[in-house]
Amino acid sequence: MIRLALPLCGIVFFFLLSLATVRLLRPRQPKSYFVSYAILLLIVSAWIYISIWGVTTLDDALGLTACMLVQALMCLTMWNSFYSLLWGFSGGLMHDLLNDPSVRHVDCLVRLYDTEVGLDRILARRLPNLDRGGYIGFRNGVLQLRPKGRLIAFGTWCSFKVFSLGMGGGTK
Amino acid sequence: MIAKIAIAAAAMLLAQVLIVAVLAAVQRHVSIYMTIIGVSIATAPVVFILGRFLVGQNLSIMARIYLMLVDLALGGFLFHFMTLPDRSVTLRILVELLVAPSQTLTVDALKHRYSVRSMIESRLVQLSAGAFIDISPERVITLKEKGVWFGRFVTGGRRLFRITSAN
Repeated sequence: MIRLALPLCGIVFFFLLSLATVRLLRPRQPKSYFVSYAILLLIVSAWIYISIWGVTTLDDALGLTACMLVQALMCLTMWNSFYSLLWGFSGGLMHDLLNDPSVRHVDCLVRLYDTEVGLDRILARRLPNLDRGGYIGFRNGVLQLRPKGRLIAFGTWCSFKVFSLGMGGGTK
Repeated sequence: MIAKIAIAAAAMLLAQVLIVAVLAAVQRHVSIYMTIIGVSIATAPVVFILGRFLVGQNLSIMARIYLMLVDLALGGFLFHFMTLPDRSVTLRILVELLVAPSQTLTVDALKHRYSVRSMIESRLVQLSAGAFIDISPERVITLKEKGVWFGRFVTGGRRLFRITSAN
């Protein structure tokens, strides 16, 4: 069971490295740093595991697989918390509701996010990002799906159907 | 050895995906996340018992525990994967474009199909169901203890990671 201390150490390092990167380097897109750290720490953990316990039996190999998967899952959980909770829509709503008592009414909250013309607060961040990432074309107020976006959209649409998610996007 | 573990892991993941898909279709009112957690926890002891058949040879107790952890971790990955189609506003925008004629929409047409009001009201209903907030008949929102905790977590996290541009 002591082997499971390895992924625990890995996740602590992952958190510390991520925090130091965001606070000291302040990258505009920390995603690539997080991915690099997660992969690097998985390699380091695997190397430590093999150095100490070796992988000669199926039991050892299963232990290594479990450690790697648990560590990767915990890194993903931290990453997902960072993006989904801190940057996500529900997190944003709770942030606004806590910090601005004047929006604690459904219509006031809608007005805070909506605009009569042009991009609202929700689309203003997402559409330019999708355009820059090559997922959509966004010219003169018209959006067109590009091949990269089509692939992602099709995969998402399949998930909607397979897991009965309705139209997703946080709406039921 | 690697092939045996890879096949066992693939079988465990496939089984979880199939069970979750069937349960999600049958019990539409149940949260997909609760279903995934339930399936993952329920299949773990099965994996412990059937570990020998999964990898094709006898396993020690410790190896069975590791196999069980692999099953639980795969359930965790499925949980995270599900947040993408289920929650992501960005992916919903892409799907709206996918199902639109010529896969093209104006911003106004997109706003009509996936409006801010419907987005916010739907999230508020879910936050209310999760006991984060309370919405009165006059549509006044009150933060509950859990909601205050969540709001503080987001506020503190954004400060810690210097996030200023999120919505």
